[in-house]
Amino acid sequence: MSGRGNVETLVVLQLQPIAVDTNSPDREGMLVIANGLLVAVLVRLAEPKHDNVGSWFLEAGFGRLQGQRVSAFPTLEDASRWLRRHLKPV
Amino acid sequence: MQQALTRKLESFEPLSDQARWALNGLVLKVRQVGARQDLIQEGDKPDNVLLILDGFACRYKVLSDGQRQIMAYLVPGDFCDLNVFILDEMDHTIGTISSCQVVDIPRQAIDEIAAHHPSIARAFWWCSLVDGAVLREWLVNMGARAPDQRIAHLLCELLMRLEAVGRVTDNSYAFPLTQTEIAETIGLSDVHVNRTLRDLRALGLIHLKRRVLTILDVERLKAFCNFTPNYLHLRSTRWGDRRDLSWPGRAQEG
Repeated sequence: MSGRGNVETLVVLQLQPIAVDTNSPDREGMLVIANGLLVAVLVRLAEPKHDNVGSWFLEAGFGRLQGQRVSAFPTLEDASRWLRRHLKPV
Repeated sequence: MQQALTRKLESFEPLSDQARWALNGLVLKVRQVGARQDLIQEGDKPDNVLLILDGFACRYKVLSDGQRQIMAYLVPGDFCDLNVFILDEMDHTIGTISSCQVVDIPRQAIDEIAAHHPSIARAFWWCSLVDGAVLREWLVNMGARAPDQRIAHLLCELLMRLEAVGRVTDNSYAFPLTQTEIAETIGLSDVHVNRTLRDLRALGLIHLKRRVLTILDVERLKAFCNFTPNYLHLRSTRWGDRRDLSWPGRAQEG
């Protein structure tokens, strides 16, 4: 394993609450910051007609997460695990 | 049920009584296929032309990460693989969305009926050309329209296509698509599809209940997404009398 890999695989995630305008009742959001950079916005699904109300949806992704389509996560922990995996260098 | 094909072809090309008889003779064995079943898979060799008599089917591909993209809907009267008729193998999969009534027509029967009835041959050409035109319009939809317009456009298109085969009553039609299937069609997430349908409902444009979609204000919905039905090339949307005009140059020569 190279030394470079050891350093870069360490992804420090911070979650910061934010209200998001989604033109729907889904408003409660989290900015996801990885190693100091904004990488994603998660939004908690609140609109009653969603299949999985209460779960966390990847509303927007930046950089490597741009355009990713993924099912909403049951919990923030699940979301963080998925984000960490997708932010790791290949 | 057999009338769906005749109606569809006649919306492109007037058919003689003989041609209509010949078409009725084509429909031999109808099989019932359950919802969400593959009719033919990518890599299969197509032996028959599949014709949907009833229900919804789609063309799709699945990426290695499991993501599915739907590239076309097939509604009553649509041929599944007239276009891969000459090719050796399927480059995509065709599967049902709702339960469907499907007819398998041997290639040879299609060849023969087209050879004997030029109007049917022309109508088959129309079908293939329109399939291509619809695919182009879907590309425009995915690449250039806003998410809410994409869905509105799809709903307008289905209204026109189903109307052409007599499957629309009072601007309502059977709508078996799930939000996930709509999402797989127009490159959005289920969540965005859900929010957009909610917006269209709130605007008083559509009503969706028990798998029946009603377009409450067709003109407003069309205006909302700038729907122009020219790409469907239905008779009602064409300048029928213009088609018979000879080319000005030719007329002078004659």
